[in-house]
Order: sequence, then C-alpha cells, then structure tokens
Amino acid sequence: MRRVGVVDYGMGNLMSMVSALDMVGADVGLCQRPEDLATCDRIVLPGVGAFRACMEALAQGGFIEALGEQVLRGGKPFLGVCLGMQVLARRSEEGGSHDGLGWIDAEVCRLRPADSALRVPQIGWNDVEFSADSAVFRRIPPLADFYFVHSFHMVCADAGNVEATCDYDGKVTAAVRKGNIFATQFHPEKSQTHGLQLLENFLNWRG
Amino acid sequence: MTTAMKRCVRCLLPETHETISFDEEGVCNICRQQDYKKDRIDWSAKKRELDDLIETYRGKYDYDCIVPFSGGKDSTWTLYYLMKEYGLKPLVVRFDHGFLRPNLQENTLRTLRKLGADMHVFTPNWKVVQKLMLQSFLEKGDFCWHCHTGIFSYPMWVAIQKNIPLIFWGEPSAEYTSYFSYDQPEEVDEKRFNRYVNLGITAEDMFVRLGGMIDERDLKPFRYPPLRDLRRISYRSVCLGSYVPWDVKRQSEIISRELGWKGDQVENVPPAYDYEKIECQLQGVRDYIKFIKRGYTRPSHLMALDLRNGRISREEAERLVKEYEGKRPPSLDLFLEYVGLTEAEFLEVALSHGVSPYHHDPASVTPGQKVHDFDQWQRVGRMERSDTEVILKRWQIHRADDRE
Amino acid sequence: MLKRRLIPKLQLKSRQLGAVNRPILVTTVGFERVLDIGDPVSQAKIYEAQAADELVLLDLDSGAPRNEAVLSVLRRIAQEIFMPFTVGGGVRTVDDFRVLLSAGADKVSINTAAVADPGLIDAASLRFGAQCVVLSIDYRQHVDGRREVFVDGGRRATGLDPVAWAKEAVARGAGEILLTSIERDGSRSGLDVDLIRQMVDAVDVPVIAAGGCGVARHFVEGFVQGGADAVASGTFFSFKDQNPMQTRAHIKNAGIPIRIHL
Repeated sequence: MRRVGVVDYGMGNLMSMVSALDMVGADVGLCQRPEDLATCDRIVLPGVGAFRACMEALAQGGFIEALGEQVLRGGKPFLGVCLGMQVLARRSEEGGSHDGLGWIDAEVCRLRPADSALRVPQIGWNDVEFSADSAVFRRIPPLADFYFVHSFHMVCADAGNVEATCDYDGKVTAAVRKGNIFATQFHPEKSQTHGLQLLENFLNWRG
Repeated sequence: MTTAMKRCVRCLLPETHETISFDEEGVCNICRQQDYKKDRIDWSAKKRELDDLIETYRGKYDYDCIVPFSGGKDSTWTLYYLMKEYGLKPLVVRFDHGFLRPNLQENTLRTLRKLGADMHVFTPNWKVVQKLMLQSFLEKGDFCWHCHTGIFSYPMWVAIQKNIPLIFWGEPSAEYTSYFSYDQPEEVDEKRFNRYVNLGITAEDMFVRLGGMIDERDLKPFRYPPLRDLRRISYRSVCLGSYVPWDVKRQSEIISRELGWKGDQVENVPPAYDYEKIECQLQGVRDYIKFIKRGYTRPSHLMALDLRNGRISREEAERLVKEYEGKRPPSLDLFLEYVGLTEAEFLEVALSHGVSPYHHDPASVTPGQKVHDFDQWQRVGRMERSDTEVILKRWQIHRADDRE
Repeated sequence: MLKRRLIPKLQLKSRQLGAVNRPILVTTVGFERVLDIGDPVSQAKIYEAQAADELVLLDLDSGAPRNEAVLSVLRRIAQEIFMPFTVGGGVRTVDDFRVLLSAGADKVSINTAAVADPGLIDAASLRFGAQCVVLSIDYRQHVDGRREVFVDGGRRATGLDPVAWAKEAVARGAGEILLTSIERDGSRSGLDVDLIRQMVDAVDVPVIAAGGCGVARHFVEGFVQGGADAVASGTFFSFKDQNPMQTRAHIKNAGIPIRIHL
C-alpha cells in the first residue's frame, strides 16, 4: 500500500518532497484536485509560505473537505510537514489571528526565545528528542539532527499529541501524532539520511 | 616554526588528522570506534550476515564476486579469505595505478597461482594519468586522484559489463577515519565515493577543471557508474571488514605463511612494519606531502594502531615517529619528472595546502633513504614542461592574490 | 540545541563546453577573477554525501534573463539531494521567488533588486514567509574603515551602510542575512569578523558570513569572534584537501556546537 499523494495546492516546493518519497520507494504522485486524494493510500501535506495564504489556498482548491473525508473519516495515514503541520492547529497568530483545520487541539505562536543569541526564524539542524518506541522514528538514532526553518511553532493543549521536541530556549514541538495523523515541524525531505529514514518509516506506518 | 598540536591521549594522532575529534577525556573518535568494534559488535551475528549475503549470490553468475585487487596486504587477505573460507570463484580486478613495485608483482603472481583465480587488469592512458596527477596535486594537494577514483570506479564498471553483482572490498574506513563509524552500515557506493574517496572532484568536475584539454571519454574509468545501472544488476558492494573483525598484523602473518606473500621496505616506514603500503613507488611522496600539510604521516598512523592495541609503549612509538617521519623521500625525483615540476614549485604547492594549526618548516627536513629496489624502477614517461605549464598557469593565476 | 552551519557556496556561470552552452560552477577572487571548478549537479551530490548543512547557489549571469538551463540544473539538484538550499542571483520579482521555490529551492536570496525596491522584501515575505527571504549584502571597505554596500555583482556603490541596510531589511521581513566581503572573496585571508559581530548584534535573524576562509581556523573565528550562525565558503572547499566533514571536526574541537552524528 504505497501509493502516496502529495497535496499540490499551488504554494511551492513539492519537487523535493516528491523526489524524497520516490527515493525511498514510494509510488508517489501529485494531487492537484481534491478528488485525487481518494486514489491514494497515504497523504502528504507539505507547506511553504504564510499560514493565512496556505489556508486560503487549501480552501480555494477545495482540499479542506477532501482531506477531512480521506484522513479524519477515511483513516488514511497522513504526514504534514512544517506549515503542513501548523495548519492542523485550531488557530495561528501569524499575521493576525487565523483559523486552521483544527484537527489537533493546538495554537501556533511566534517563537520568542529569551536568549538573545537565539534567532528567529530558527534555521538549521537541531537534535530531536523522541521516545524510543515511536514507530515513525524507527531506526533513527536518539537525538538525531533534523533541519528546521520556521518562525512559528505549535503549542499543543494535549501533551499526548506531542511525538517529538527540540530545544530552542525551552521545548518546541518538533512532531505531533494523533491516530493516523503525523506531522513534523522539521523537513524530513531536507534532512539527509535521517529524514529519508523517517519518510520510509511513514510508508510502513499503519497509522 | 613548530606548532604544538592537540593529540589523542591514547593513540597520539594529532588534530590535523582528517575527521578526528576529541571527547572530554581527550580520546579521539577513531579510538572510540575501535572500542565499539571490540566490545559492542556481535561478530558472530555479522558472520552469519556474511554467510547469507554470499549464499544469495553464489553460483548464479559467471563469477561469484569481484575482488578489487592491488596485491597489498588487505586485498590479498580478502581474496584469500573468500576463497578459503567460502570456496568462492572470484574475478580479481586490478586497476593499475602505474607505480606497482617488483616485489608486489611477484606476490601477485604467487597468490594467483596458489589460489587459482582469473584476473582482469586495466591500465589507464599514461598521458591522461600525468595530467590528472598534476591537476589534483595543484588544486587538492593530493596527486592520487586517478588512483583513488580508478580503484573504486573501474571494478564497478566491470561488475555491470560482466554482470557480477557482488563486490568485496577489504577494510572498512572506520578503521582509520570517522567518515563512517562501525555502528553505521558502510556500503562501498557512490555516497562513500563522493564523501571522501574522490577528493571532492568527480570525473565531470575534473573535465571542467582541465578546461576540456582531454577527451571526456578518457575519464570514464574514473567516473562512478550510474546508480540505475548498478541497481539493475542488484549490486552489493561491501567491505569484508564489516563482517569479520579486521586485524592487519594477524592477517599479514597468515598470507605470508599460506601464500608466500612478502613484505617490503617502504620509504620512511620503520622496518618492522614491512607489510604496509608496499604497492606503490610513490608512497613516500604521498606521505611526504601529507607531512607538509598535516605535520604527521604513516609512522604516526602505524603507531596509533599499535598504541590502541597495547602492542607498543608510548616512548618507543614516539622514538620511531621521530626517527622515520617527514624525511625527503628519494622517490620525489621521480614524481617531479612525471609531472614536470621543480622542487621549489612542489614545495610552494604543498605548503599552500597546509591544514591549521600546523605550519611546516622546509628548512628542518632531512633526506630519507632509498629503498632497495629504487634503482630498478622504470623511469619512463617524463612530462614535457610545456604541458606542465598549461596546467600550472591556472593554478598560478588563482594564487596571485594570496595574502596568507 | 541548534547547531551552527557549514555552507558550501556554489556559483554558476554559463560556459561553452563541447557542443553546448551549459551552467558550470566557478569560484571567484574579489568578485572578478573567475575559475571553473566543476559541474553543479556533481558538486551538489558531493556536498550531500559529505553532509554539508546547507548549500547556497548563486547565478552569476544575473544580467541575463532567468534561463531554462539554470532552472533545469536546479531541478536536477532537487531530485538528487535531500538537504536545504538557497538560490540567488538576478531575482527581481515576487514571481521569481515562486519560480525558484517550485524548482526546489528552500530559500531565495535577493540583493540588487532589494536595494532598488525595498518593497520587494515586504511583498516576498508576506507571500512566502520571512524564512524564505534571504537578504544578500555584498560590501567593500574603504581606506578610512567605512564599509559600503555594493550591488550589480560588486560593481556599483550604493551609499548604504551594511548594518543599517540589514536592519531596515529585517524590519521589512527578511529572515536571514548573507554577508559577503568583496575584497576577501577568494583571498583566503580570513573572515571580516568585526563587521560580522556588529551585524549579529544589530539584527535578530540568522547571519551567514562569507568571504575569506582559507584554513579551517577561519571558520572557527567566524563562529566565535564573529558570532555567525553559519559560515559559507566556495574557494576553501574547492581548493583544499579539507572537505566539510574534516572542517566540521575541526570546528567541534574548538567547542562549537556543530552537527556531528551523520
């Protein structure tokens, strides 16, 4: 069951995600229309850009309803990346206050490290802490580094949804999981060996 | 000027050794990998993995595997082990780098006759090799590009052409550096080739750097074959040392006893280590350049292995390093003929590749001794100065503004 | 903990090689003397294998209209490597951002066009987020010590002070600064740590320092004295027998947090 659909809602860099999934053996295709989601076994939502623009693009493309149908009701394994994770929250404070998909009880807030040596955006490789029995982090060494590039982060109301964290003057959500929904703040498609391993794990994950 | 370099408290390798880093106790990562190799790897499980790997491929092709072969201690051991332990029918593949020594040729003949194996030899165009040596020396401070890339690429082309998908190399790189560690799978693939084998220059890059002065087809033996071609034959390219713990001294003893393999004198290497790097006439030059760049060379490396294994005292190790390291090798004269450089130019180039914090002082260098077969080596194929100057000019333009 | 970054800088220029004109990689000295050093896709694959933290790709033929040959190289790189890269050179419009991001870039750097129209920074940041917008600043130092921003590949003076310009750009939404000393470019004489430090203290976004690395010690100086978040270099990695993995070990030995488990 390796037919993977990458949601193409017109916001940018899909090439890297598609190539990375192809590299680890997925049968991968772009979903440019909402009905394409039905033909896939797994769904990946990448994200570049600003929160509001992303939500608007998803709505205009008719993807919000289709994603709900396939992922929430259909139970297909889902991977959100970066902004594709943040839009799962109820709300974001990026550029005002905007509603998200609300799949996860969380708010997206600006990074505000007290330590002035730490910059915003956080750009670069940070070590990620996850529990040893996490299926999506299987065969990845403890505290492996992944590539982050973000100014906002997701604050979960239910700590049970937090699958992994990194340290940026305090714990920052690096990955969330809720049933068949998994999402990362970092970019697995840009995180070299460990990132490819995580994508391979996603392909084998039952959700 | 001598600069005090930070060294591993256990093996004494200095901070200019490639990829070395030190922990809180001052022990280097290469020593820690050896601890891992000794204490944490289940070698009997690894051996079973090797059994399975071999059974997957045995008897299905014209040859069971390829053994890339210089005839030195590591490839001879690999060939011996695979044939004795597993009874494999290998194709021995040699990429001839152009500087094989007489004793090595005799070892090769004895080994092949005693074991009974087919051998395939490829010798690249000397005129191309000369340009590659000069270019990589000028721009990377390492003239062995043709050898590094040819040795690791050419057998892969043979694998594709003859449909022999299993390739066995010798020691894993974690023995000497930390480009890979023993807890990572080290496939001998394009990633490894790009990581450190090719000095950061592929054949495509070399073509650009030489400004099209050679035929692009001449670079094919040095180019890594496309991944899709290798995948098509379902290749596996692995180090025997990833499955069987590597022990150079013990292995050298066995091949000497069983195959009549003979060690040799090597420039600037203590005589007790006569099994090390006996295959190349220019080994002394390679080591000398490394000394100019990094302030240490082969004796330090040999001592590091023995210090880790507790086979030598620190005092004796330091004495041998002092006695043998950093001398001007007589083979430098050959090298200068082959690439058409003067010794002053050679030094200027080598010094420009210095690795901080080491600073080399040419005035402190003393001459080393000729090895016994030095006068028997063929000295044919001098490079015309006019050819040298075409390549040298580019380097000089690049260096013109150097303020360091 | 977030690690400091090592960034090979790859500069593209079109060349006639064999029958075709194609983009190849070059290094420069003082933004002027150009040396051909390789094939872009091949070099990107090498840096991926050596676990460089990120790449910066700059198209030096920025006077020419954005050409399909360069985009095709970017797409091939995006297919071959699984690490972040920034693309710049000749970026003039918000739509250029879109085109480069869809070719696989993670971030886009702007230089001359941002000086001509600072509103481009606001517009790009609003559309793609600050983390996508890298302001590239090239500068020269005058004999009196004053530093000045230059544009058009280092050929045209602007009267702008690098630090003041960076502060304005960050206020408008730039998410990162790529700071390059023109005189030190390709010189191997070391980074301009004084200005790097001033820049790092003046802005709260990450600063990538470039121009002058000749030995591994220079990277350490950029991180420790300069406080840079990342150091980029072209000449050093092209002409030294010290690849990013060796340089990384040297930096770690100086006590700087850098990615080591690869």
